[in-house]
Amino acid sequence: MSSSIAADVAPKAKTASPMARLAGDWLPPAITFVVVAVLWQVVALNNPYVLPTLESIGNSMAGDPHMYWANMLVTCQEIVIGAGAGILFGFLLAVAMSELPIIEKAIMPLIVVIMVTPVVAIAPALVVAFGFGMLPKYIVTGLVVFFPMLVNSLAGLRDVDQKALDVFKTLHASRWETFRDLRLPGCMPFVFAGLRIAMPLAVVGAAVAEFVAAGQQAGLGSLVTISAAQADLPVTWASIALLCLLGVVLVSLLALLRKRVLWWSDADVIGR
Amino acid sequence: MSAPAQASSDRYPGEAGVEVANITKSFGPDEARVTVLNGVSLTIRKGEFVSLIGPSGCGKSTLLKVVAGLSDADGGKVSINGKSAREASREKAIGLVPQSPALLPWRTILDNVSLPISINPGANAGRKLRDPKEILTNFGLGKAIDRYPAQLSGGMQQRAAIARAFVFDPEILLMDEPFSALDEMNRDQQRMGLLDFWQSNQKSVLFVTHSVPEAIILSDRIVLMAAHPGRIAEIIDVDLPRPRNEALYATDAFRDLEGYVRNALRKVMEAAHV
Repeated sequence: MSSSIAADVAPKAKTASPMARLAGDWLPPAITFVVVAVLWQVVALNNPYVLPTLESIGNSMAGDPHMYWANMLVTCQEIVIGAGAGILFGFLLAVAMSELPIIEKAIMPLIVVIMVTPVVAIAPALVVAFGFGMLPKYIVTGLVVFFPMLVNSLAGLRDVDQKALDVFKTLHASRWETFRDLRLPGCMPFVFAGLRIAMPLAVVGAAVAEFVAAGQQAGLGSLVTISAAQADLPVTWASIALLCLLGVVLVSLLALLRKRVLWWSDADVIGR
Repeated sequence: MSAPAQASSDRYPGEAGVEVANITKSFGPDEARVTVLNGVSLTIRKGEFVSLIGPSGCGKSTLLKVVAGLSDADGGKVSINGKSAREASREKAIGLVPQSPALLPWRTILDNVSLPISINPGANAGRKLRDPKEILTNFGLGKAIDRYPAQLSGGMQQRAAIARAFVFDPEILLMDEPFSALDEMNRDQQRMGLLDFWQSNQKSVLFVTHSVPEAIILSDRIVLMAAHPGRIAEIIDVDLPRPRNEALYATDAFRDLEGYVRNALRKVMEAAHV
């Protein structure tokens, strides 16, 4: 109890400034959101065929939560499996390329060719090749995140502190020791920069995969196309809102993970 | 100051330390090749502190890299207790202190200093590894062992980097201007710390520096290098008594020697401009 009292007392001495800071941090964006919501309602009430009202979107979600939940799970599955594999493969290939430059020389041109080909164009071909199951969707989602992961990880593995590398060399560190103790931890800021790009792209990838590689007609992306074709605007916008929520959750989770893994990279987190 | 003056040459009579014989190295394409080291020969006896000083471009850092086995010479031979630089690093005989501390920011100071013990553990057999905690305490970092490099001042970081080089008891320490990034007051404090520690743990040291007083107060011998092409101009014995401390700066012997070294350095630099 005594500790909780102490914890209660301590911040009270400076109540004003954290509150003010909180207000300073949260108030401006909150106002922006309120303004956008009001504008939305004004447009929606005057143009019912352009935008649904916010309450109709809410009612749609509340009316059939199970349907939205089931579709969200399908999209999540595409992101977890597809983007997960793309991220892992991008990172592992970067490791292989940094350890064996011949691998980079041999396959980087091919990867660039694949990456400049629009994913939207590849997707229908993937459906033909791999059928209407989940596989083409995994591939499309994975492809989208693969390149930023590869490029960032590779940059990170190369951006090793040369002076520290000299110390490792004079100790005759093995390749594995140099990787484990120097390159791998050292590349993490770049890996997280790659993940920061890859996470929102993963949501885009999953939605696009459902648009073009439709097949099973499940997932939030499919829900958007189907409901839009039927002019069922509340469902369309509810699905868009959930895709947006998915992206926000992914980016927030990433920020939490970054704080855990990369505390050493942000000087102000450590403090003096 | 009461210890008798000791000529560096007879501290460990008959024991070879580092032998650098006729090292030649050049860089660049064939038509515009620059000779960085031209026939450099040097002996660092066991337990001797040798400084390399000279104008920029005299190849002192390159020479250090060659001795460390980080760079191959075009000609000549480096032998560290009879072994090549490569063999010596395989046996962890070389302790390197780079220009920047190059500590790993994700490891505590203690884990940074313990690193050379955990790397290449096969070479640990039969050597006197030091206790990382003890060596950090000796370097005045006893309270900082659980801190991270970013939480320490530049001077403390550089001290940790020096402790990291001493901890695995290498046969030779190579230091590449370790204090050059520090401000002058901090530098003086750090060089006194190194002097104290080295005087109670006399290891062979090759120390690259830009500072004449630093070279004198620390060294047994100063190797003065000239540039274009990089070569040894003069080797100056520092016959000042040990153990030394700051008081030495104020002595006539120190000032005389400082005047002599500065003069020699000036001559070397003027010759380069003719």
